Amino acid sequence: MKALWLGLLSFATILTLWEAAARLGVMNPFFTSQPSAIAATLGEEARSGELPRNITVSLGEFAAGYGAAVFIGIFLGVLAGRFRTFEYALDPFLWFLYSAPLVALFPIFIIWFGLGARPVIAIAFLLSVTPIAANTLSGIKGINPALVRAAKSFGAGESDLLWKVILPASVPMVIAGLRLGIGRALTGVVVGELFGATAGLGFSIAYYGGLLKTTNMLASLAVIAVLGVVCTQGLSAVEARLDSWRTGPGL
Amino acid sequence: MPRRALISTLSVLVFLGAWEIAPRLHLIDMAYTSQPSRVLAASLEAVRNAGFLHDLSVSFSEFAVGFALAVAMGVPLGLLLGVFPVMRYLADPVVMAIYSTPYLALLPILVVWLGIGMPSKMAAVFVGGVVPIVVNTMAGVRQVERCWVLAAQSFGGGKRDVLVKVILPASLPGVMIGTRLGLSRAVLGMVVAEMYVSQAGIGSEIMRYGSAFRIDYLLFYVLVISGFGFAATRSLRVLEQRLWTADK
Repeated sequence: MKALWLGLLSFATILTLWEAAARLGVMNPFFTSQPSAIAATLGEEARSGELPRNITVSLGEFAAGYGAAVFIGIFLGVLAGRFRTFEYALDPFLWFLYSAPLVALFPIFIIWFGLGARPVIAIAFLLSVTPIAANTLSGIKGINPALVRAAKSFGAGESDLLWKVILPASVPMVIAGLRLGIGRALTGVVVGELFGATAGLGFSIAYYGGLLKTTNMLASLAVIAVLGVVCTQGLSAVEARLDSWRTGPGL
Repeated sequence: MPRRALISTLSVLVFLGAWEIAPRLHLIDMAYTSQPSRVLAASLEAVRNAGFLHDLSVSFSEFAVGFALAVAMGVPLGLLLGVFPVMRYLADPVVMAIYSTPYLALLPILVVWLGIGMPSKMAAVFVGGVVPIVVNTMAGVRQVERCWVLAAQSFGGGKRDVLVKVILPASLPGVMIGTRLGLSRAVLGMVVAEMYVSQAGIGSEIMRYGSAFRIDYLLFYVLVISGFGFAATRSLRVLEQRLWTADK
């Protein structure tokens, strides 16, 4: 509860300072806009139907790309964590995908999939599948071997091991991967839309950027931030439930 | 270890072989995929070009300045937020909001604020790098075993001892993870910022060849960036190893 109030307090402080700075002429509202103007713009765009349409397009692309990445990423990570040979075979590709600027491949995706939602979904998937797979893998490899040995000596089979020891013990790493994946999938959606789309929140940022309308840009950005926070916080709730057996430190 | 290298090499070779042969057998259209041999030819051509070194140095300086700033600000901030709960409660929603917002969506605004030159790219690198460093350093501090803190305290360690001798070394894995994650985001920030609008740099070449649909050249520049990211990650790992052994 205390965390919630302090968090709200810091948000309120930032917004107030921003508004005040713009009104008092400390910052030029042409470049920085101001919270009241952004709120008014959001209301306007919501009434005109522009905002709901952009949100639907972007969320649909996000859900398709990220959803596929969660399943395939965890599947690959578990497989690689359990089978050495597979890990070694997957490793170079995983690290290439991790370090390669995949967004730079976007022109190729447009050639492959055409303009529209499909290349955006592809880039969102590719960006988010790597951290999920890599984190699942390192979470499994980081498990205390004593836990595995103990379970085995009490007669646990491969499926018991997986569901009762390996997955629960690697929850923090997997969740960290899922969380990174959310950020990267949203990045993929927004950047994909920035470079080649006709609708969506990212498209509207680039569009209004071309018109130098900072208020409209920041309005779309605020919506993207809210979407990101909602997804991430939802994940934290899941984590708290899945990882309730672990105790934290404290000073 | 040799087994690992063998399997990894084999799997990459199989991939490259399939990529080279499939267009020759007309299984896939070469206009869509290019070929390893063509990428190689394009690479040799591009490296001989005098502009290559210039692009590389522009990109590298943008990256170096932005990422150095990100580490210098991110680690202390993360430690602070990890150790003091009140500060964490105050900052966490803001940090998470920024973390959850795709930093690349800021590009159009960064360009409006800082212009189309190098500062807006440095800012993109910084914004990409700093947030994972803060978040993971914070998480690293919170994952420190409570019994170590208690042990240090029961042997008479003060707050400062606990912080410097227990929490800082023990949260190093979090710091390193954050730096590594921040690194890949920073590299991406550099390239995409250059792709979005720029006059020089690897990203601007990628955009140029991308709009000309020259996949072979485009892939070469993507490989350059990957090599860049890989080299940076490797150096970080070496550093990490050093820090660990110095610890013992």
